[in-house]
Amino acid sequence: MANTDKQVNELIKREYEHGFVTEIEADTFEPGLNEDVIRRLSAIKGEPEFMLEWRLKAYRRWLEMEEPEWAHVHYPKVDYQSISYYSAPKRKEDMPQSLDEVDPELLRTYEKLGIPLHERAALAGVAVDAVFDSVSVATTFKEPLAKAGVIFCSISEAVKEHPELVKKYLGSVVPAGDNYFAGLNAATFSDGTFVYVPKGVRCPMELSTYFRINAANTGQFERTLIIAEAGSYVSYLEGCTAPMRDENQLHAAVVELVALDDAQIKYSTVQNWYPGDENGKGGIYNFVTKRGACIGKNSKISWTQVETGSAITWKYPSCILRGENSVGEFYSVALTNNYQQADTGTKMIHLGKNTSSTIISKGISAGHSSNAYRGLVKFGPGAEGARNFTQCDSLLIGDKSAAHTFPYIESKNKGAMLEHEATTSKVSDEQMFLCRQRGIDPEQAVSMIVNGFCKEVFKELPMEFAVEAGKLLEVSLEGSVG
Amino acid sequence: MIAAPTLSSAFLDAPGQSLPSPLLKLREQRGKALVDMPLPTRKTENWKYSSRYLKLDEALAKTLPSAGKSGPGLAVAGYHVVFHNGVMVPEASDYPDIAGIEIKRFVDLDDDEARELAERLDNTLDSKAAQMARLNTARFEDGLLIRLQADAVLDQPLYIICETDASSAGTAYPRIYVDAGRHSQITLVEEHITSGSEPAMTNTVTEFALSEGAHVTSVRLSLDGDTVQHIGATGARLHANARFENHTVGFGGPLRRHDLQVRLEGPGAECRLNGVVVTQGKQHYDNHTTIEHVAPHCNSEETYRNIAADESHAIFNGRIHIHPDAQKSNANMSNKNLLLSTGAEIDTKPELEIYADDVKCAHGATVGQLNDESIFYLVSRGIGRQEARALLSMAFINELVEQIPVDSVKDTVQARLNRFFDQTFDEA
Amino acid sequence: MLSIKNLHATVEGEEILKGINLEIKAGEVHAIMGPNGSGKSTLSQVLAGNETFTVTEGEVLLDGENLLDLATEERAREGIFLAFQYPVEIPGVSNMQFLRTAVNAQRHHRGEPEMNAAEFMKLARETSKQVDLDPSFLKRGVNEGFSGGEKKRNEILQALLLQPRLAILDETDSGLDIDALKVVADGVNALKSKDRAILMVTHYQRLLNHIVPDFVHVLAGGQIVKSGGRELALELEDRGYSWLGVNEETTAS
Repeated sequence: MANTDKQVNELIKREYEHGFVTEIEADTFEPGLNEDVIRRLSAIKGEPEFMLEWRLKAYRRWLEMEEPEWAHVHYPKVDYQSISYYSAPKRKEDMPQSLDEVDPELLRTYEKLGIPLHERAALAGVAVDAVFDSVSVATTFKEPLAKAGVIFCSISEAVKEHPELVKKYLGSVVPAGDNYFAGLNAATFSDGTFVYVPKGVRCPMELSTYFRINAANTGQFERTLIIAEAGSYVSYLEGCTAPMRDENQLHAAVVELVALDDAQIKYSTVQNWYPGDENGKGGIYNFVTKRGACIGKNSKISWTQVETGSAITWKYPSCILRGENSVGEFYSVALTNNYQQADTGTKMIHLGKNTSSTIISKGISAGHSSNAYRGLVKFGPGAEGARNFTQCDSLLIGDKSAAHTFPYIESKNKGAMLEHEATTSKVSDEQMFLCRQRGIDPEQAVSMIVNGFCKEVFKELPMEFAVEAGKLLEVSLEGSVG
Repeated sequence: MIAAPTLSSAFLDAPGQSLPSPLLKLREQRGKALVDMPLPTRKTENWKYSSRYLKLDEALAKTLPSAGKSGPGLAVAGYHVVFHNGVMVPEASDYPDIAGIEIKRFVDLDDDEARELAERLDNTLDSKAAQMARLNTARFEDGLLIRLQADAVLDQPLYIICETDASSAGTAYPRIYVDAGRHSQITLVEEHITSGSEPAMTNTVTEFALSEGAHVTSVRLSLDGDTVQHIGATGARLHANARFENHTVGFGGPLRRHDLQVRLEGPGAECRLNGVVVTQGKQHYDNHTTIEHVAPHCNSEETYRNIAADESHAIFNGRIHIHPDAQKSNANMSNKNLLLSTGAEIDTKPELEIYADDVKCAHGATVGQLNDESIFYLVSRGIGRQEARALLSMAFINELVEQIPVDSVKDTVQARLNRFFDQTFDEA
Repeated sequence: MLSIKNLHATVEGEEILKGINLEIKAGEVHAIMGPNGSGKSTLSQVLAGNETFTVTEGEVLLDGENLLDLATEERAREGIFLAFQYPVEIPGVSNMQFLRTAVNAQRHHRGEPEMNAAEFMKLARETSKQVDLDPSFLKRGVNEGFSGGEKKRNEILQALLLQPRLAILDETDSGLDIDALKVVADGVNALKSKDRAILMVTHYQRLLNHIVPDFVHVLAGGQIVKSGGRELALELEDRGYSWLGVNEETTAS
């Protein structure tokens, strides 16, 4: 046993790859939050009146809310007045009209992150929206998407160009008063992604957003809204990175998905915010509300997440299964190392008949980290014939880490069926011995075993990203063998 | 924000009683600590699903009087101790004088014994999780101390019958403490029953301290009446190689709550916790169990089954907590639930909290209804549809009933369950 | 090739190997026999570098170099292969991925280029046929849900792919029916070469009907008490171990 631990601990010592800071001129608000800040933010973005009103209402509501304390995470109180609520790369006047107008320094940043924004070089078949601190800096492949009728743009643009859609759906799944962080986001969100897939359209390519926090002392509060009209299909992926800084930075995003009759949304996340250093200093507080509503019959929302970054993760991508026969899925790999803390899971709210959901959660805890699965499966009185299957597995690496499982199961319908299984184990000495006896490095052996443990989730990711996720896991595990 | 309601001060008016002074002092201390105790609400995590059933009305603040006698119909063959409204009734009790085994009322303890006991009471129970048990400590009028010396073995099960006499409103506070010495063995059957039909409450606490290698089997039967709310707590602490077995069988009521907390504190300690709950009508039942693996090389096995019919509500919350040094722990928990009607509700939360890596832990939970194909199969053999349902429901829990190690209790439980299923399926 | 001198080893403080001496040359096939608990499995685990066991005395030289100084994976790359008595399952890691990682780790060590996925797949499929394993097993998790016989054949498959210099087979015959035994034996015979040595650890001599050893050693109480040729195995089959002054059941494991 001691041997395995030693190997595992030696494994976890590579450094965070995306920790560089981009020297770029930025317009950044003074820290602090009040109604004036919100008015300024709204004005800078040239928002219509309804948006400002919505923000102010959310802000007033937020002032009366309390920060939740039930999650299995510990951190010093966040001083919301010490955060700057807007930071944007300085540009001449308007948004860049084409990639050629984007600051070359920014383009280089994205290249360093492995996300070339030039369409020529872009990942084949993947359209990218890049969000840098508070604003969207570039969206690729707009033209071919527009031809298919798909709207893929920053949310700021959508507020101006498609106010009727924004008015109808913004806050319809995650209301401004839903929870403390969602409230803060509603008041202060600066940018994010908007996707609209019209009736019957299968989005011709993967859509993707890369989020990057760069400026110090800023929070990032992006907002994503995806609407899939009847019979449409879209697959969307987000990736996240941030520089290495000693202070903690707040990321409080809201994602809303709406699926109408027979529509499908596949939402994948590879979250690699800066996790803090090996002593737990710095890192992102990732307090995120993600929820999808299967409004229509036979609709389907599928969440796949690979969470390896952030100092603290508080995140429960959920599905409200209202439409008959609608399907919710949640596939998650959450890896914590060093002093990271994660409290993540999902909520599957079954309201409609014959709705079904699947939850596969794989938690890996290494170092001194703490990794909790928290989930809710609820069958309402109308959920006749509903089904859920849940599998939650935890893998422990090293004897200082912790793994927890908190599943809430509530049923009010006798015709609903649920099966829940959970296990906790470690990488066994026998497995390590077998791999090493065949000549495989301990480091590689651990990463292979951990990847095997996560296989059921990785196979849900779009191909290119499954490879990326596997590598990310390897990097995040470095130094954990020991 | 509206302030949460607090415990009525009427609950803390200590009546006169005849306990030895160290125990009186303990009661007083606990009473003081409970002043302004906030009552559980929907936001209290461990009362999330049950706070709405808890009615701590002023009328219940009165401790039910004990006439020093028991109601009729309590003849039990074998060793037994009878409590009437939390006070032991020696005339109705019958137990042998066995070397190495002391069975004593709290009121009969001398000062030294009482002082020692006062230091140990409540030690098996987490104060936050079993908040209501503190109220018992502040209010008990009597209690039973069972002490087994090293190697002492009680040759037959000891029944403890706790009768709540609800001929007037109020609360009874039975209290039991078992000190099982090294390699001693005892089987204890705790049975809660009701006479009378006024609104009343039973608030009961049973604690077990198991020394090295002690074996304790406890059977807990909750058969309180329809007007009685029942709040119970059972705590056990185990030293090395000790074994604790608990079989809980509960029938629903206006409020039924049992907290079972087991701490495995010495290497090689193990526990098995079985539970069966059935609810019908508008009944409620809430089992909260916690198993703390504190020492390495301990095993725990837990199996709970709930059946909820009509508009009833059954809750299970099982928590396994593996402490940082508890390497080589094995823990298994299974909770299966049967919903017999769409008006009924099942809530379950099987939790794992793990701070050691070299462990094997697993839990499983299911919620569902009777299998249509099985019903059809039985019906095709000429069995009536309702009878088929009753048979299959019984089959769902029978495995656990069969494991009850005391035959007479098993018979009682089976008879009660048959009656329960007759009622449930007759009206369906 | 391999030279074991006065090897002592303990597990949890208990001495299991009490002075083993053994010389194995390239091209030879050795069989180690002995009653249950004589230390046979311990010897194979110690040679492969299982850290559960502690070597307290003696030395093991592989071509004159001290094997005991090497980590488990380094020994493997020097050509030590252990076919496990109880092959381990690794859920989710496909056999193919596992084998290719292992083969490439060894190639890398020898300064050879890595095999690409297509090349390797072709090789693995051919080799799997040699041990009568359907190629679909290559896609399944390592030993995940394999029957006992399938696991043993998978071990031989690995030996054939890794082409070790010294193959140690720990009770590879246990749990096999006669057909499977034949398949496994054919695989082992295919391994035989003048550059390679084979060390078989077995309780019964039936495997030796199929894989003919050059030398047979009897291990008892942590020491080799008798060595001989093939005929020694037959004699043990006839007469048991007692004529050697050895109890059928000794205490060590």
